[in-house]
Amino acid sequence: MAAISQRDAFWERLYDLACEDRDIVVIAADMGAPAMDRIRRDLPGQYLNAGISEQNGLLVAAGLALEGKRPFFYAISNFATLRVIELIRVELSVMDIPVTIVGVGAGYSYEDSGSTHHSLEDVAVMRAFPNLTIHSASDSVLAARFADISCAQEHANYVRLERKTLPDLHKPDVDISKGFAVLRDGPDGYLLSTGIMTHRALEVADELAAKGKKLGVIDLFTLPPDEKALVSALSGCPCLITLEEHYLPGGIGSYLLELLNTHGVSVPVKRVGLTFAQGYENSYVYGGRDRIHAHAGLDVPGILDQIKNVL
Amino acid sequence: MSPLRDKCNELKRAMLKTCIDAGTGHVSSSLSCAEILTALFYGDVLRFDPKRPDWPDRDRFLLSKAQASPMLYTVLADLGYYEKSELKKFAQTDGPFGVHLQKSVPGAEITCGSLGHGFGIAAGMAQAAKMDRTHHLVFTLLGDGELYEGSIWETAIFAAHNRLNNLVAIVDRNYQCTLDFTESSLALEPLEEKWASFGWNVCRVDGHSINEILGALKGIRSRPSTQPLVVIADTVKGAGVDLMACVPLWHGTAPTGDEAKRAMEQLERSFEHGRD
Repeated sequence: MAAISQRDAFWERLYDLACEDRDIVVIAADMGAPAMDRIRRDLPGQYLNAGISEQNGLLVAAGLALEGKRPFFYAISNFATLRVIELIRVELSVMDIPVTIVGVGAGYSYEDSGSTHHSLEDVAVMRAFPNLTIHSASDSVLAARFADISCAQEHANYVRLERKTLPDLHKPDVDISKGFAVLRDGPDGYLLSTGIMTHRALEVADELAAKGKKLGVIDLFTLPPDEKALVSALSGCPCLITLEEHYLPGGIGSYLLELLNTHGVSVPVKRVGLTFAQGYENSYVYGGRDRIHAHAGLDVPGILDQIKNVL
Repeated sequence: MSPLRDKCNELKRAMLKTCIDAGTGHVSSSLSCAEILTALFYGDVLRFDPKRPDWPDRDRFLLSKAQASPMLYTVLADLGYYEKSELKKFAQTDGPFGVHLQKSVPGAEITCGSLGHGFGIAAGMAQAAKMDRTHHLVFTLLGDGELYEGSIWETAIFAAHNRLNNLVAIVDRNYQCTLDFTESSLALEPLEEKWASFGWNVCRVDGHSINEILGALKGIRSRPSTQPLVVIADTVKGAGVDLMACVPLWHGTAPTGDEAKRAMEQLERSFEHGRD
């Protein structure tokens, strides 16, 4: 089957679930998807357009959830999160209301749209809250599985989706219970990444393999994951390289450092991502994702250059 | 004096005592909405059962202006949601009663304190009731200062468009925020026209007249309208206590010493509103 976009995979699966569960309600902030059209057409009683008003959309979702509905609030990633962050804090985290936020546009997904449409801080911000889990998809298989997970969640949940259609990395029956998957074993260390950067990690691993270095690849797709399992997988690892299309402070590399520290595990870690010194200049590099990545040092040569001293 | 007026005055005094004893609490914001809460909870408007705070058919009441929590705590205690003696725990150890509202208080419905939240949640609850074809109503009490929040107007658009005629917003229009009067700092008027232009049914009442508030809510379950209703209740922040009434900077403060004594004495006088 040809790969489909993550949002279509997610909404296709949610459509099936919503047909069976009339309490599933989608609240969209003027945001669509081809698969969303089916929900609008076939399940109009379970669809609300909140308009370009993320605050109201999030609050209405919270009110619906308090009445027993299972709401999915849908917008571009940073509008669905950063725009309404204090509402997320009070309603979803403090009150612990089980709303699922579905954000499309991880990292530089909206490549030529500029910084206003890029999500480069959302992981750091969203992982700062109790009672809230992040699900970050690297392919459409995970995106579809996240629809099921969201329907079973007792707490709030942020599903972070890529806009671009990416090749599938996972088999349909991938075990997602631990929140990460080891895609490739590596005696010489691991590359750990999320979203589109997991694809980049595999390219980097291929490049290094040709040079005789065997690095494994771990796709981290849930924050927090099963921490015990992840620490166990990383213990004894010669080196760990984290890759993220996100600012380094508070991102997944930062998370890994905290995790290893908490568990008293000593592994050399190199974080590769966006630095504050870069500011937002990468957001105004036009001509596509690869050009942005090359400018940001997130293309294969850029990453190899940054990690050469730790291998 | 009417039994409702008696009850209202009794509630005000109990609220003030609670705040004086605790040394904190938004007394002036509580006093401005005392008649509104009295009308809603004692005037046969809201449907509720103190023994079953989660009764599915209850009307929902969301205190979006949650700084007035001491007034709501007092009402809920008086109605039997919990013992009146529990009020001694206001802002003290071992109690759920904070300066702002916490969901764990029986009857509270939500955690609130940050403005511009409760109204949107109320709209979501009203929307759920429409989806489920249930007949309870959703009431929410907004502060007028809260109307500066953009989220309020986002929800106003949403509720009108979705014809949430099961949603009733009451604005405690006390004309004051923390620092100043609304009309001199950032004018809110003309409020009726604003709400009407957003597609709401609007009425304006004297918010210290229980009879006027009840008049605005008469027949609330059979309103011949598809649209949500907003009641703008003109009030005085700190009503009934001269040292607080219309005095900015009393926001969030409980009186102490001689001022506390004076405030209580004034509330102990039989306050009777001309129209009640």
